Amino acid sequence: MSKSLSILIFLVMTAFFACFFAYPIWAALEAAFRGPDHKFTLEYISEVFLNELYREGLWNSFIIAVWTTLGSLAIALPLAVCYVRFAFPGRALLNSLVLMPMILPPFVGAIGIKAMLGQAGALNSLLINLGLMDAMHPTDWLGQQRMLGIIIMEVLHLYPIIYLNAAAALSNLDPALEEAAANLGCNAWSRFWRVTLPLIMPGVFAGGTIVFVWSFTEMGVPLLFDYDRVTAVQVFRSINDLSGNPFPYALVTVMLVFSTLFYLTSKLFFGNSSASGGGRATTGRETIKLPVWLGWACTAFFAGVTFLAVLPHLGVVLLSFSKDWYGTVIPHSLTLTHYHDALGHELTLSSIANSLKYSALAMLVALILGIGVAYVSVRTRIWGRQILDAMAMLPLAVPGIVMAFGYLAMTREGQPFHWLMLGEDPLLLLVIAYAVRRLPYVVRSAAAGFQQVSPTLEEAAQNLGARPEKALWRITLPLVAPNLVAGGLLAFSFAMLEVSDSMILAQQAAHFPITKAIYSLVLSLGSGPNLASALGVWAMIFLAVTILGAGVILGKKLGALFRV
Amino acid sequence: MVTITIQELTKRFGGSVVLSSVNLQIEAGELFFLLGPSGCGKTTLLRHIAGFYTPDEGKIWFDDEDVTRLPAHKRGTGMMFQSYALWPHLNVAQNVAFGLEERKRPRKEIEHRVAEALDQVKLDGLGSRKIQQLSGGQQQRVALARALVIRPKCLLLDEPLSNLDAKLRLEMRTEIRHICKQHGLTAIYVTHDRDEALSMADRMAIMEVGKLVQVGTPTEVYRNPATRMVAEFIGETNFVEGRTLRESSWAGFFDVETPFGMLRGRTNDSSWQPAPGQPVVLSIRPEAMTFANLTDSPNRFPGHIVDTTYLGPTVQYLLQVQNGPLMKVCEINPQEIRPPSQEETRAMAGMNDVVILRK
Repeated sequence: MSKSLSILIFLVMTAFFACFFAYPIWAALEAAFRGPDHKFTLEYISEVFLNELYREGLWNSFIIAVWTTLGSLAIALPLAVCYVRFAFPGRALLNSLVLMPMILPPFVGAIGIKAMLGQAGALNSLLINLGLMDAMHPTDWLGQQRMLGIIIMEVLHLYPIIYLNAAAALSNLDPALEEAAANLGCNAWSRFWRVTLPLIMPGVFAGGTIVFVWSFTEMGVPLLFDYDRVTAVQVFRSINDLSGNPFPYALVTVMLVFSTLFYLTSKLFFGNSSASGGGRATTGRETIKLPVWLGWACTAFFAGVTFLAVLPHLGVVLLSFSKDWYGTVIPHSLTLTHYHDALGHELTLSSIANSLKYSALAMLVALILGIGVAYVSVRTRIWGRQILDAMAMLPLAVPGIVMAFGYLAMTREGQPFHWLMLGEDPLLLLVIAYAVRRLPYVVRSAAAGFQQVSPTLEEAAQNLGARPEKALWRITLPLVAPNLVAGGLLAFSFAMLEVSDSMILAQQAAHFPITKAIYSLVLSLGSGPNLASALGVWAMIFLAVTILGAGVILGKKLGALFRV
Repeated sequence: MVTITIQELTKRFGGSVVLSSVNLQIEAGELFFLLGPSGCGKTTLLRHIAGFYTPDEGKIWFDDEDVTRLPAHKRGTGMMFQSYALWPHLNVAQNVAFGLEERKRPRKEIEHRVAEALDQVKLDGLGSRKIQQLSGGQQQRVALARALVIRPKCLLLDEPLSNLDAKLRLEMRTEIRHICKQHGLTAIYVTHDRDEALSMADRMAIMEVGKLVQVGTPTEVYRNPATRMVAEFIGETNFVEGRTLRESSWAGFFDVETPFGMLRGRTNDSSWQPAPGQPVVLSIRPEAMTFANLTDSPNRFPGHIVDTTYLGPTVQYLLQVQNGPLMKVCEINPQEIRPPSQEETRAMAGMNDVVILRK
């Protein structure tokens, strides 16, 4: 690629990021610090800390994030070690199933979990049937321990992110590094603590940070658990007030500051990049054949975790087919009417069409930007290419809700980007929001592709007379096509199921994307939850196909998609 | 310092046999080389001794202790890995101290011995450096210090010099041999570099597709290669095919009929008497051939020179033998350089330098 084109891409990317990443964050911050008289004020921020309700929300969000991260680590690390080290029955299949929990936004799974853990839910019915519970006094699991419910939901949804990172780090580790420790008299257990864990820490840290920030700012799950005492939900509730209310902006600002602080602190402690266990492996890793019963124990562990993780989704599926599910372990009778009704409901068809439209356009934008960024950062030596790469990955670390508020702030009346609103149609805004948020997936998978394809292939084409751009088009792009397809698929499907931008930016029913339609269906009376489930199942199948497809195409590199 | 005995060792990976019935005894204090082309199983054998692989059949003994099933961390060997396998999250001194910490030595002793080991490999004062700040040669020394500091029962070296530049490689050869001898270490050294093996080894084993082909001292292996493959692997050589005629008038020498005349040579194994008419192959090293006149040898190679390469200390010719093969001739300290030409010439080789191998 010619240098001028690289610089052009660099400039376009920088401009795009300035407008649609840095500026929205700035706009949100500005709204939080600007008083009615347009002067700088700390009044709103200090109010956040003085108000007991907001303080409690922040504290609860923090607790949820800590326990979700610890819980995900506790599940994901042993799974990753088992997968990389040992041979056991069903290993390959179970590894691909680990991604299953990611195929639904957890807030859809929450509908299912409510059907199971509610007072008249499946678990209580099972316990009553077994004679372990008094039918007159069923336990209200969710009512008493809503926070626990939220944490469990999020752990079961997010542990695959850590799993993918840890498994990738483990299999990239040069086995000779552990063998050297064994050779010097170190037993397996202390080898893990003294050599393996420190070396895979950057990978684990990368996954852990995403899980932490994700759960700290998660809005969908607490919303469906009717748990208002976390910051994200408080923010969502307050936008129903007048748009001039500065408190949501102040809350979002505080969230951003805390997320960044957590990230930097943990990076300081765990993310020491000099300790990456890279280097080319000099000996193949031999997977250890376990004794039969231990092998099956591994299988059971894997299968058990996966089963638990898909339980909410199972609930969603059952709910979508059930005529009546109340006070029984599984529904009384099954029906297809919800699928039929869902198609007839005024919200569903338009929301599907909207989501397809928004996501397809967003994918296109993300692909064009992503390929450019990846190419410049992998193949050229221009100044600032690493900055470009880092910029493209930043949206992973910034909470979605912060971005959503930024977009809201920068398109208010009188702001320079007000025209993006197109009247009341959030099309442009949502496309940009989705594209920015999913850009990291595209950049990482494209970069992985460019790294695998040797530049000499392109040079050979140039040597035979092709212009640099032509060589890129005819040689490299076809070779990295699988990676681009995978990245595009992921971007598309995660855009379809994006929660925070959709909830906040789409205000009118005619423009609702799928996620907001599901949410408003859940809230409606009658068969609303069943309709929502039917819509959720549709989304679930959709995501399952794309993620499994991307997993097959990208292989182990999938882990790199969830890394800051 | 231990004697290592390997009995009937067999290992399969999937369907393919990578080691087949290997028998070997390595004496205490010996610097022993495993040599062979890539894929011959030499590294696999070393990793069995270190305990990273468990054999499918056979046994490994350290003196009279059966260590076949003993896990790697209980064997007390010190290994140098090809990639050095230095831990990037620990600094130089921490890397070297690791094995002593696992052995629960008192802090004072660890500090003392680490300093001593770094001193021995000439890295004194670099203990607090990070691994990434070291050059390839320095990293190699850290790896050596880390393996030596535990005073291992035996030192295992897996192509330790393959990542260094030529000059450093030469220096380290002498140094590694010196350190092994100084400590009286039993050491097993895996390499595919024949110069390394010839210059350093007490004894060596040549391997091919999972089998030991020959075990012996460098001179034995170079002068009496067991097979055509060994002859070729351990040094440059010329092969001439022929048939045994008879035992010659000189005791221990045989006459062999070749397409360009009779050659007289000795067998690679004094207990072997090739029968008349038996097809054999002759190995003649380039440096054993000369254009000078050898009065006590009947071995003549008439032909003309097709290529000349001047290398300073030596000059190499390619000689097209009449009705015979192309042969390499190497003259040391050449006074006169012969250009390629159609002119008839002839080379000669002493009877002792024509080695008869089984075909």
